[in-house]
Amino acid sequence: MPTATAIRPDDILKQLSAYWTDLGHAGDPEETGGLLRACSKTLICFADEEENSQQLSETLASLMREHPCRMIVVRLQDGEDALAANVSSQCWMPFGHRRQICCELVEVTASINRLADVASIVAPLAAADLPRVILLRSARIVRAGALRKILALGDKIIVDSSRQGAPGFGEIGGLLDAGHTTGDLAWTRLTPIRALLAQLLENRNPAAIVIEYAGKEAGPEARYLQAWLQTSLPDSQVSLRGNATDGHRDHGKPVVVRVDKDILVRLCEGGAEYEAGPIVHRASMPPGTEEQLLNEELGIVVHDRVFERALNHITA
Amino acid sequence: MSVNSPLQDPLRFHRKTPPCAVVIFGANGDLTKRKLMPALYRLAYEGRLAPGFAVIGISRTPMSDDDFRARMHDSVSRFLEDSPFDEDLWRSFAQGLFYLTGDVGDAALYKKIGESLGGVDEEHATAGNVLFYLSTQPSQYGEIAEGLGAAGLAKGAGWRRIIVEKPFGHDLPSARDLNTRIQAHFAEEQIYRIDHYLGKETVQNIMAFRFGNGIFEPLWNRRYIDHVQITAAESIGVEGRGAYYQEAGALRDMIQNHLLQVMATIAMEPSATFSSDAVRDERAKLLRSVRILKPEEVADNAVAGQYGPGRVAGGAVVGFRQEPGVNPESTTDTYAAATFLVDNWRWAGVPFYIRTGKYLPKRVSEIAIHFKSAPLSVFRSSETPGESLPNLLILRIQPEEGISLKFVSKRPGAGMTLRPVSMDFNYGASFGERSPSAYETLLLDAIIGDATLYTRQDMVEASWSAVQPIMDYWAAQKFSFPNYAAGTWGPTASDAMLARRGHVWRTP
Repeated sequence: MPTATAIRPDDILKQLSAYWTDLGHAGDPEETGGLLRACSKTLICFADEEENSQQLSETLASLMREHPCRMIVVRLQDGEDALAANVSSQCWMPFGHRRQICCELVEVTASINRLADVASIVAPLAAADLPRVILLRSARIVRAGALRKILALGDKIIVDSSRQGAPGFGEIGGLLDAGHTTGDLAWTRLTPIRALLAQLLENRNPAAIVIEYAGKEAGPEARYLQAWLQTSLPDSQVSLRGNATDGHRDHGKPVVVRVDKDILVRLCEGGAEYEAGPIVHRASMPPGTEEQLLNEELGIVVHDRVFERALNHITA
Repeated sequence: MSVNSPLQDPLRFHRKTPPCAVVIFGANGDLTKRKLMPALYRLAYEGRLAPGFAVIGISRTPMSDDDFRARMHDSVSRFLEDSPFDEDLWRSFAQGLFYLTGDVGDAALYKKIGESLGGVDEEHATAGNVLFYLSTQPSQYGEIAEGLGAAGLAKGAGWRRIIVEKPFGHDLPSARDLNTRIQAHFAEEQIYRIDHYLGKETVQNIMAFRFGNGIFEPLWNRRYIDHVQITAAESIGVEGRGAYYQEAGALRDMIQNHLLQVMATIAMEPSATFSSDAVRDERAKLLRSVRILKPEEVADNAVAGQYGPGRVAGGAVVGFRQEPGVNPESTTDTYAAATFLVDNWRWAGVPFYIRTGKYLPKRVSEIAIHFKSAPLSVFRSSETPGESLPNLLILRIQPEEGISLKFVSKRPGAGMTLRPVSMDFNYGASFGERSPSAYETLLLDAIIGDATLYTRQDMVEASWSAVQPIMDYWAAQKFSFPNYAAGTWGPTASDAMLARRGHVWRTP
């Protein structure tokens, strides 16, 4: 028996269909170039109601260009029984083109006690035969009892362990143990520096690698970096050390990597400086914005064995 | 980076290069400024170059290392596409740029190159690996290869490779002669003949489309395909390159190399693996299967054109013969169209029409696969105009890269009225990420040692063999040029060429 606030997925799909028909009829395609409805996956984003909605919308909209998808944003709130949904679209005109590309957006607002209902609404809305990715940005949902039902909706789950209230290593490890393909943006942030280190350390067998991090406590990135190097180079001694002089910068993040006495890598604004031999080189590493990190993670829908190996090393 | 490195992460890391020095002959030329150096900088920006990397530029213009660095700084910051220019990174990159002045005919130059490579190797740890890039006048290619060979630079402590820009000769005998001269010093696996068309993402995507999907390949043959049209139209003229262009012409400049390679990619058999030699073997086999026209067949199967005055983009333009540096009686083809037949079981009887030209109405490169019509007209009626349209598969290379499938559909409402519709895949919409330029791809491949997208001697000779009868026939003709107005789709003889087989050119 539907409640007063029930949402019928069929109605949402009808609304979407009508929406596209209206968009298709707007303007003369000969003049405007028409529009292209694009969808390569379903992205289900769980966010807390308090999160800056404009910033979130901009982040998600920018993802559409590289990963056009049916976007379902679920905003979770405390308090009274609430469940509502509406549909809209995100469109953009690629540079030099005449035709707009559009993706569809379904926004669901739900109180945390309706989370079980959310699962039954979102499941039929996912695009058929395409990957479903869950982006967990809500601290509320991590604590919610219906989490298991929600996670079952996704082929991949993306978290950011460096966010406040985000799942920790133990919980992420639990997702892996339950068989979920999982990504952590704290790990994704390391790709440029890992790629550089992989190149610098090729054909080397260093005795000792020291990772210095800003401040007094190693953050998730520093710990992932240590775990990756240690699991990749089991004969090397890879250690973490606080770097008080860089304490003013992002607390807990890696700032220097020393490889024996041969290689010194300093992570600096927008890049890295490294000494390997007589010349100081610079590598460009623009700070990864959240959309760039998400773009990278959305491009990987299989188990990431390198990440999983590092995580297992931390949680062991 | 080696695939066996314990630090590899193939899901996330891009391909990276081993240490090496790149020696560019013609370092003061346009190609170096506009394409090569921006591509190398971009590879550095993406962190794909090894720390041990250096460039030695060579040309006749006297210049110091610092002058060269300053010129390259200006070029890269001006011609870099889709990327920010990072001054700090440039300073690091520029530490590895060096310059030598010299004449490629002078043996002393090669001695200097050898000495410079030794110094660069010591200072920049390039591991003795050297990539020579010939970006000079084509007439100098043989001389440079011989100079390098005589100085012992074709061999060394690391690998040695040589990239040769097109054109590879100006006809079949000169292509053979050039190959002989280069191969006297470099083994075939050291020679990388560049055809930048093969480095284009969307040309590579043709292989992904054909061999990564199961549903199209069963239709990819004479039983279902009626004919294929390959178009590479340019909406501009010779843009101040008239003097060069009148020595080349559309057939030599586009069809002999780029478009026959595209045709080979469309028509080749699937290779057993995606290894360099396996793919190139299949391309070469296809090119060798192209029927060689007899002299008496050329007139019906090839059309030359030259643009006259006309209107383009709302403005008047002069004809080719009025372009600066062009002979007022030039018989150069600014338009060429040809019908090629492939003598193998898959394609017997299927015409491949190829056309290219300057000052055509729009800039477009595409391949149109025309499928045979349905065997029975079930919906025959005056109300079903769409029914007579055959299915079309369009592979668009530029602009709006993508794939479209045209088919007919019932119009909503009472009655069986059909209408042609299009199902579109837009490359940019599905992959919003930046595509590397063709030169980035090809330089990266050459440094890594992957020759898949480079042409091999047998491929070059096979494609010259396919166009040589046309060139010979045209050389003996007195054309009544100009025969098309700038801004139109070429000479009427081109339409007649297709009409002889009951076909018409598609209007892209």
